[in-house]
Amino acid sequence: MSGEASSPSANGPVLAVRGLTVTAAKRKILDGVTLDFPPRSLTAVVGPSGCGKTTFVRTLNRMVELTPGLRVEGHVDYVGQNIYGPGVNPVLVRRRIGMVFQRPTVFPMSIFENAAFGLRLIHEPEEVVDRAVTEALVRAGLWDEVKQDLDRSALSLSGGQQQRLCIARALAVNPRVLLLDEPTSALDPAATQRVESTMERLKQDIVLVLVTHNVSQAARVSDRVAFLHSGRLIEVGPTADVLERPKDPLTEQFITGRFA
Amino acid sequence: MENASVPSVDNIRFDGSARTRWRLGFDRVIGWLLPLLFLVAILPILSLVYYVSARALPTLSWTVLTSTSPYRTDALGVPIIGTFEVMLLATLLAVLFGLFGGIATAEFLSDRVAGWVRMSANLLVGTPSIIIGYFGYFTFVLYFGWGLSYIAGVFTLSFFMTPYVFRTADLAFTSVPRHIREAALGSGAKPSQYILKVGTPIAFPQILTGVFLAMAIGVGETAPIVLTTQPGVLVPQTVYSPVTFLTQLIWENFAQSQSSGLQVLAFQAAFLIMVVVIALNIVVRLISSRYRKRLEGLYA
Amino acid sequence: MRWLRWVAALPALAPAAILIGILVALVGATSFTNFGWGFFGFHWDPPTDQWGIMVFLIGSFLTAVPALVFSMLIGIGIAVASATYLPGYLTRILDPFVDLLAGIPSVVYGIWAFVIVAPVFGSVLEPWLVMHVAFIPGFGPPTRTDGLGVLISIFILTLMALPITTLLIRDALRSVPRDLWESGLALGATRWEVVRRVAIPYGRRGIFSAAFLGFGRAFGETVAVAMVLGAATNLPKNVYDTGNTVAAQMFELLDSAIGGTGSPQILAALAEMALVLLGISLVVNVLGRRLIASLYTEQVQGL
Repeated sequence: MSGEASSPSANGPVLAVRGLTVTAAKRKILDGVTLDFPPRSLTAVVGPSGCGKTTFVRTLNRMVELTPGLRVEGHVDYVGQNIYGPGVNPVLVRRRIGMVFQRPTVFPMSIFENAAFGLRLIHEPEEVVDRAVTEALVRAGLWDEVKQDLDRSALSLSGGQQQRLCIARALAVNPRVLLLDEPTSALDPAATQRVESTMERLKQDIVLVLVTHNVSQAARVSDRVAFLHSGRLIEVGPTADVLERPKDPLTEQFITGRFA
Repeated sequence: MENASVPSVDNIRFDGSARTRWRLGFDRVIGWLLPLLFLVAILPILSLVYYVSARALPTLSWTVLTSTSPYRTDALGVPIIGTFEVMLLATLLAVLFGLFGGIATAEFLSDRVAGWVRMSANLLVGTPSIIIGYFGYFTFVLYFGWGLSYIAGVFTLSFFMTPYVFRTADLAFTSVPRHIREAALGSGAKPSQYILKVGTPIAFPQILTGVFLAMAIGVGETAPIVLTTQPGVLVPQTVYSPVTFLTQLIWENFAQSQSSGLQVLAFQAAFLIMVVVIALNIVVRLISSRYRKRLEGLYA
Repeated sequence: MRWLRWVAALPALAPAAILIGILVALVGATSFTNFGWGFFGFHWDPPTDQWGIMVFLIGSFLTAVPALVFSMLIGIGIAVASATYLPGYLTRILDPFVDLLAGIPSVVYGIWAFVIVAPVFGSVLEPWLVMHVAFIPGFGPPTRTDGLGVLISIFILTLMALPITTLLIRDALRSVPRDLWESGLALGATRWEVVRRVAIPYGRRGIFSAAFLGFGRAFGETVAVAMVLGAATNLPKNVYDTGNTVAAQMFELLDSAIGGTGSPQILAALAEMALVLLGISLVVNVLGRRLIASLYTEQVQGL
């Protein structure tokens, strides 16, 4: 296994996954996945339920370690550094690689404090926090809706607004990578549409990894599609290629809905 | 359009900043220190169990446990039988009040009224035992004129135990799955038939834990008994007779004198109560864990 | 057949009836005209007809409040360790010990504290404290050699309140959705930062209820305190001194009065003390219970 799989050059991959295998009591949840995430891209990870796509995305910021009994082999290089390497702290990994969950997970505090959460941890000065929160809310496409009442409880927001606040909260610490684990599965169509347009804007400057079971969502927002099946990466490529001219019969079956 | 205010950092190794060092270090230290707080609970338990056993066991013999001779001051036969007799009737009364009360609350009361009733049961659990004891003394001993007697102690103790049975009976019937309840009542069963044929079999194990819990609490109570009965040298002959309860014996021996003989007897009584209470707790734990598993198997 | 339903519903009133019965009996046994506000005076001396309970009331707070503070701090620590830092198998081994603390009867605590713990307090801990922390007000000499007094009462009450506070805080922390924990960690927070900034604010209602119910337990505890606090009728001079609480004083007074006829004065004084005690414990229990959403909290003794 080579130590330096990729170099942190401007156009090299931000995240490079090499031979990633996750085992739970002898059962392989992920089996030798190798995949690159180039800068300024949105990769949709699709596959039938139980294919390991949520586990996959959770290995990318070491959240997988919170589930007891899983063993991770292979490596994930973040700008050339293996995040599973010696001397790497998961707490610091997760600052660089943010995550948004299926359901909105706003904290029981004000809108402002939610967005400022990550910055408060490192005791950023107040004026930095102010500016970073504003920028993050703008980038998440929530600013215009909440700028009047930043001190209101975040729980008073609608579901779609809460989810965009979660995106803003992750953006405030300025990560290079944002992992989105089925971020719209709990939202109505209108809210889904807003979150999708936020994703489309964000992929202009950071790496997005979107887990979704919804092929049409992948078609709408992603540049690239990676298809997982039974823990193995079956096919990856530009969205149009994979969805319109799949090379593997398993991919074709999934796209045409025979798994559902 | 990246966030200009916060630099994007690529390093995922320790960056040497004092703040990061503090954050990670504090988390690690806390992770070692907090589990040690379990010792605050574990060491006293071990010490208590060890010392009570060490003082009680060397002289605890079959004769000590069974002799009911009124002339022996080193035997526990009379208080053991007394405790048993008090617990028997008090548990019966508590089950009578608590079981019917709990079922009625779950099945017949509107949510609003049930909320008030539940609150009163909770408040009764939170009422200091000395108050129940004084109430028993004032009402049963003085006002009803029963004197310091077996029956006064039984009623006082049963009042103390009732809310525990009540709460579990209520909870057990309230948590019968809605579809089972509606299926039974919807197919024309009368409420009484539902309670007897459907609800009780489902709720039974949980109610049983409530009864055992109430017994564990009752047998360890001191104040209500000391204030409503008086120790006797014989097992009770009538309901107005004196009766000795084990906890009462501990208190009386403690209060009267600290001579070593009485102290040993108090420790033997404490040992017995401790064993009974721990055994009841283990039974409660076993039933409720088996019951939960069964519930998951049935309705998951 | 509507009346049948009403009859069937009657037993539901049992707990309310007992509670109201207690109130009626206590009010019936007292009459505030006997003592007036002098009841809240500082002098307790029945032979000279002085019935001030202030010394006992202060004694109750003096022992219950520190015990509550300790049991809340330790309870939060144990609950956090069990909810975050410890692996599941260790939690399953260790948690039952806390439940067991709730099961030990108070008279057993009392005799253990009196015979085993008090000598350690009197001969080791208290001399050490006098040597080293005498500068803290209340911790200076003199000490008593038997170890009985305020300090050991606080120790015992801490142990007795600990299961209530720990279990309620544990429930509160476990009610925090898994997603919320993970979101905190995913933002690069340490486990401790998630506990402090997310989990504790989220579960604050449960934590407040733990404080109220734990206080109720410590405030109303009778027999164990009666055995180790020393039954004095004056205010303790320092933490090593003896004192008394309302509950323990009631118990000792009744226990000694029971053999005799029980003078109407004593009975009325006891009823008034019971009302004060009941009033305070009802207030904290109502506050504590209202904060908990669930029907009844975990089935553990004394909760």
